[in-house]
Amino acid sequence: MLSLLLIFTAAIYFPGVIVKVKAIFGGRKGPGILQPWYDIFRLLKKGSVYSSSSSFVFQIAAPIYLTTVLVAALFIPFEESIALFSFTGDFVLFAYLLGLGRFLIILSALDVSSGFEGMGANREAFYSMLMEPAFFILMGSLAMFTGYTSFHDIFANLHYNSYFSAIIGIIAAYVLANITLVETSRLPVDDPLTHLELTMVHEVMVLDHSGFDLGIIKIANNIKFVLFSTLSANCIIPQSLDLWMRIGIFLVTQVAFAAGIGWLESFRARNKMAMNAQYILSINAVALILIFAAMIIKNKI
Amino acid sequence: MFAIPKKWKYLLALTLQVMLIIPSTAWAIEVLNNDTITFNMGVDTWSGPIQLTIDRLSAYFMLIINLICLCGMIYASGYLKPYLPKKRSVFISLHLFSFVWLHGAMLLVVSMRDGIAFLLAWELMSLFSFVLVIFEAQKESTLKTGINYLLQMHLSFALIMLGFLVAANQTGDLSFAGVGKFFGQNPNLPIFLVFLTGFGIKAGFIPFHTWLPRAHPAAPSHVSGVMSGIMIKMGIYGIFRITSMIQSDLMTIGIIVLAIGIVSGLLGVVMAIMQHDLKKLLAYHSIENIGIIGIGMGMGILGKASGDHYLMVFGFAGALLHNLNHALFKSLLFFTAGNIYYATHHVNMDKLGGLAKGMRYTSYAFLIGALAISGIPPFNGFISEYLIYSGVINHLSNSVFIISILSIACILSLVLIGGLCIYCFTKAFGLSFLGTRRQESYNEPIEVPKIMLVPAIIQVSFILAIGLMPAFFGASAIGIVQKLLNEPASDFTASAVQSLTDVGHVNMLLIGLIIVIMLLRAWQQSTVKIASGSTWGCGYTAGNFRHQYTPTSYADSLRELANPVIDYKKIYISFKEKEIFPQPKEFHTVSKDLVEEKTVLSWVHLIVNHLPKAGIAQSGLINDYLVYPMLFLILVGLLIVLNIL
Repeated sequence: MLSLLLIFTAAIYFPGVIVKVKAIFGGRKGPGILQPWYDIFRLLKKGSVYSSSSSFVFQIAAPIYLTTVLVAALFIPFEESIALFSFTGDFVLFAYLLGLGRFLIILSALDVSSGFEGMGANREAFYSMLMEPAFFILMGSLAMFTGYTSFHDIFANLHYNSYFSAIIGIIAAYVLANITLVETSRLPVDDPLTHLELTMVHEVMVLDHSGFDLGIIKIANNIKFVLFSTLSANCIIPQSLDLWMRIGIFLVTQVAFAAGIGWLESFRARNKMAMNAQYILSINAVALILIFAAMIIKNKI
Repeated sequence: MFAIPKKWKYLLALTLQVMLIIPSTAWAIEVLNNDTITFNMGVDTWSGPIQLTIDRLSAYFMLIINLICLCGMIYASGYLKPYLPKKRSVFISLHLFSFVWLHGAMLLVVSMRDGIAFLLAWELMSLFSFVLVIFEAQKESTLKTGINYLLQMHLSFALIMLGFLVAANQTGDLSFAGVGKFFGQNPNLPIFLVFLTGFGIKAGFIPFHTWLPRAHPAAPSHVSGVMSGIMIKMGIYGIFRITSMIQSDLMTIGIIVLAIGIVSGLLGVVMAIMQHDLKKLLAYHSIENIGIIGIGMGMGILGKASGDHYLMVFGFAGALLHNLNHALFKSLLFFTAGNIYYATHHVNMDKLGGLAKGMRYTSYAFLIGALAISGIPPFNGFISEYLIYSGVINHLSNSVFIISILSIACILSLVLIGGLCIYCFTKAFGLSFLGTRRQESYNEPIEVPKIMLVPAIIQVSFILAIGLMPAFFGASAIGIVQKLLNEPASDFTASAVQSLTDVGHVNMLLIGLIIVIMLLRAWQQSTVKIASGSTWGCGYTAGNFRHQYTPTSYADSLRELANPVIDYKKIYISFKEKEIFPQPKEFHTVSKDLVEEKTVLSWVHLIVNHLPKAGIAQSGLINDYLVYPMLFLILVGLLIVLNIL
């Protein structure tokens, strides 16, 4: 349960830090750290407008999206403190749960019969299809390296094996950070602040959501961000330190990650749309390096 | 059956079917609880009396057959109604009669061990399904498809017979037991390949799949549902039987089965994405799911080869459970596609859209089927894929290099198939049921009669039951596999049941939490103003149905990646430079099945192109025709003289 607490704590300041860092680099003062959440609470109190062409799918999509992310959060451990669910191959269920949310959001985008949202839906389906293998190769190679098959066991045993752990952990964290950027549609794959519908991925899919629905989609996005960054942190925080130290390091890495995204988004332009597939495939390639590293360490090659 | 009035025919067929279902279900349940039972049929062939032998594998398949065929029959009662006045009485009789016989033949296929009886049942199954496919034989294309199907099924028949005969030639026993003995004494690979090809044609593994995407769209929907749901599984049943007996060359066989599975899985789904016809799309998905079953079996054989019992049991169990799962959601999807056909008279996604408003219940059923087939929790498709995943992942760290590499290939392809499936079914559901209709003028579709939704209720409740109680179904599948392979029940069964129970709990929690959040949302919405307006169009207010995504544009991102196997082409007339008043233009796209072109059609074309040259011999002169027999006799004489014949 510690992990859940940490995830929600990090989710509170994570989006705010990104906005703040971007504002500072842009020479502005920027809003307070909690401003994104104030916006969400305002949305939750508002009324909604539904497209006249939408059907029941549009009504159920946002709640299911939030639910999948919340349930997925129950799988994430914080190193040796156990998550609510932990069993053989739990990361498979984790990934497929996020798939359920994605499926429904894509459908809700197709439901409003808009060309723009169809575009976003199509891109989301395509990119996530390309991205998914990287996550599984990554988890597969960690399973191969540690000899365990659930999130908790893998992360609890990742750091006992000597220096190799550090190499594997750092590459894994790098891959996970990149997966985070794609999954949550940040730069360089997608620019959430762009004002051109033709070039968006995730934001364009929720153009017609409003009020409560939009609010919970934003909550889900914020939590999803932290889910992946927590996994990433699990790969690098050494087990040998004591608990408070590790919690401290965790919170600091989350701030650093958020600041890194803010920095990236301030100085980098978005990829050309056609380049995204290549970018995602290159992440897969890095993940493949990981599996060969694991094989070499296990004396299989 | 042929003599009674049209409206009673259906009832009679249903009664006959129930008479098949009751005893077979009772036997199957008995076998699953206790042990194999054998009946004497009282008919003798030269190899001995024909016996019905039902073991756990047969019983499992029998239950699926009964369930799906019953659903198909119930569905047919509504689906056939518009055809009753149009069709002649004898055709209706023939159709219903064949349906019951197909059911019976499939039950026989899974319970016959004797070679002759098995082949006879196999032949009956192919013949009656052929009659069912050509229900709309007045269309030339349907008839052509049917003949194509019949020919391919006989190729399959010939290969299976060849396998049996080769085995019987050595062991003197024309039966599955004889094949088992043969495998004990000889290299297994050649005969296994013969059986794999024979059964693979029925199952629809690529490259033997070419009948599938033709026959399923041509057949009426209750037939496509049953054929895709369970009849192609008879091929899988055969492969299971043979696989349980092989003893040598395991590594090579495992790699071959895995490779065929991966190729079928990936190419099947890629080709599915390119389709515009909903039923054709579903037919390609059958190939994909057969591929997943092949992947599970391949990993199972590899587990056997490397002595890894966990991998073996889980690979096979995943494949076995996927049979049931696919039978459920695929027949559900075909029936709901049939509902669309019933309501709109076509299944072309280019002209569909917005059906969710008029056909609410159909759209619920299709959505659940689409989620289940994409392997998404809390539905059943996930459970069988999870079994395969957990088998593969579990021994990743201790396995030898070759198994590790193949395991990674297996995981990668399963994940890619899953991702592509999401891509494909968001397209299939999103474009047919959501948005607005992609047509200028049409009649607003109305929901189909209630009786056609009854099978959907049965199927959805099974789909949910497997999703929410995976431990029971998973443990049964594992038990059947262990019995089939004479494997003692081991300690990992308990741990597997434990993790499946956890999966079930997560699924229950998921559904519970969805309900809670929906209630919260309903409460919030009751307190604020809810309005309805037009879709955001970036300030452009004259948007119409043409601005929506179409099947072609939705598949466009994948086009570049998939082009090597589909040969995708755009066909259109572009605007001329000085065309001031442009004429209406046409645009359409075509994609081919390049695997079929390269492996089958290229040969056929070659033969067809060269055959006319043989026409020189047909001169029309009686003198010439008299020369031919003489030449033949001289040839035979020469061969005898030279001691060759």
